[in-house]
Amino acid sequence: MPLMEVKNLEMTYTDEDVATPVLRGLSFKINRGEFVTVMGPSGSGKSTLLHILGLLERQSGGEYFFGGKQTSEYSEDEIAKLRNKKLGFVFQSFNLLPRTTVFENVKLPLLYSGIKEELWDTMARKAIDAVGLSHRLDFEPSQLSGGEKQRVAIARALVNNPEVIFADEPTGNLDSKSGEVVMDIIQKLHNEMGHTVILITHETYTAEYAERIIRLRDGMIESDTKVLNRRTGKLFQK
Amino acid sequence: MPFHHAARIALAGLKTNKTRSALTILGIIIGVTAIIMVVSLGQGAKDLILSQIEGLGARVIGIIPGRQPKGPTDVLATLTASLTERDFSALQRKENVPYAQDVIPVVFGSETAYYNGQTYRPTLFGGNESMADIYDSYPERGRAVSADDVRSAADVVILGWTVADTLAPGQDLLGDRIKIKGRNFLVIGIMPKKGGASFINFNESVFLPYTTAQKYIFGIKYFNRIIIRADSEAHVAVTVEDVKATLRELHGITDPDKDDFGIETQADLLKTVGTVLSTLTVFLAMVAAISLVVGGVGIMNIMLVSVTDRTREIGLRKALGATNRNILTQFLLEAIILTGIGGIVGILLGAGLSFAISLVISNVFGLAWDFTFPVGAAVLGILISTIVGLIFGLYPARKASHMSPIDALRHE
Repeated sequence: MPLMEVKNLEMTYTDEDVATPVLRGLSFKINRGEFVTVMGPSGSGKSTLLHILGLLERQSGGEYFFGGKQTSEYSEDEIAKLRNKKLGFVFQSFNLLPRTTVFENVKLPLLYSGIKEELWDTMARKAIDAVGLSHRLDFEPSQLSGGEKQRVAIARALVNNPEVIFADEPTGNLDSKSGEVVMDIIQKLHNEMGHTVILITHETYTAEYAERIIRLRDGMIESDTKVLNRRTGKLFQK
Repeated sequence: MPFHHAARIALAGLKTNKTRSALTILGIIIGVTAIIMVVSLGQGAKDLILSQIEGLGARVIGIIPGRQPKGPTDVLATLTASLTERDFSALQRKENVPYAQDVIPVVFGSETAYYNGQTYRPTLFGGNESMADIYDSYPERGRAVSADDVRSAADVVILGWTVADTLAPGQDLLGDRIKIKGRNFLVIGIMPKKGGASFINFNESVFLPYTTAQKYIFGIKYFNRIIIRADSEAHVAVTVEDVKATLRELHGITDPDKDDFGIETQADLLKTVGTVLSTLTVFLAMVAAISLVVGGVGIMNIMLVSVTDRTREIGLRKALGATNRNILTQFLLEAIILTGIGGIVGILLGAGLSFAISLVISNVFGLAWDFTFPVGAAVLGILISTIVGLIFGLYPARKASHMSPIDALRHE
């Protein structure tokens, strides 16, 4: 059973009677443990696709199965719980809480998790350790570099040990050097911890990490190909 | 999510916006401060006034001439000449009013006094030898009015401190004579300088035998009051009935509604004045409470701005798994914590200011003013301000909770 499956997925935004179709009938499956990169020119609908797959937004047409179940059958609260337990997000603009320490920022998802508070510190430390920022525990976002901020965001996405990590242009605001550090971390999570990664990018060096590339154009799939990870040489295995 | 986590998130949210949080609760602080001050100072004023009334003595009964008004539409019958010497003698008789210890006829009015080119217009109190005891108006030097003075309608006066000081500044008037209505009066006593508020301003009064006042100054044969002091508090009620029976018989009255006199006891007065003052305090406190509503509108206003400001934060929290209820709780708690803190600060501030004012009143003005901490008003203040937070925080909190995570994250 695929982790995620979309059938004829459509998304149309309606604003003052003007309908703007963004996604026009997408169908594909993503299995556990895949590293998928979604590419395409701006306006091709890749961010919208990620929002729908990430359960941040509901599609206007078609079906989306997450874990074998129609997402339209989930209640609002169940979706919130899925976002908390199964999904992790890394945004282009970091979205860290200002005037809040790295440690507290990473703990944020735990607040809504129902996990016992005694475990929070250990879990947060572990996640921060995984992105190599243990020495920045008490720093606030304003004291960090862009690359460090994004690594905090990754630690935050990681802390609940989710199945899927969604990364929306995670290197878009970074120079290529810190971008590579961030991508190496995402790669490591995928390889060593088995997280499914869905990455949106338009940068080719970032795409080098992928094992499968879905290209979008005008809301439709232009191509869906398995590629050799040019960094590790690992080919996607079904 | 456990409550203490929710409270911690809300507190953290408030802490990151300290200035705004402080400004937001200013309205609530002022409102609660006003309530506490009104109630505390109202209580202080009430205690002071009631203690003054109690100072008149619990055993004292006042008889007022004339028919007393029965309601707001009843025109006060101005038959003020209804208490006479005949009533006085009848009330003095033990077979009529057995428990009356003292019976004092009183006449009063204003008249100009002259001495050596100086003038002053004091209030004149004419009474008998028991007057000084009941009013606690013994002279500092000289003597009080005696029974002989009353019998002979002697031309003697006791001057209040201000009267003596104005007529002859820096000069001792004791044994000298002053002129009232063209007649010379021997000054037999000078009152001490009295501080504080009282129903009688002793400093500006002149005391003399009632016979003298009736005959030579006011030219009347009736009394403005007859004061009776019962021999014990337990006998006040029965004495009141005895007085009524005696006067009705004397005046030929069968229908109590047609009484041509009224009776005041300290208990009546305490009750009436106490009720009036409490009503006034409640009214003022309610006016102050309105300002809390204004404060609540301020909270709502700032919370709405805060929700818009923190749209990204709300979106992020939702993306990380916060439910609508989590967000609602967070913003509602922020509002309630804000107003709760405002309530506590207001109570402390109100109590502090009231205490300072009570110090000023008792030290500068020399009044027996006690500071009271209004526990009821404090509890009510916290309660109302928290409810205000709940009500005015609900709309912004709902607005925040219903935001779509992605719209919120896109927000710039």
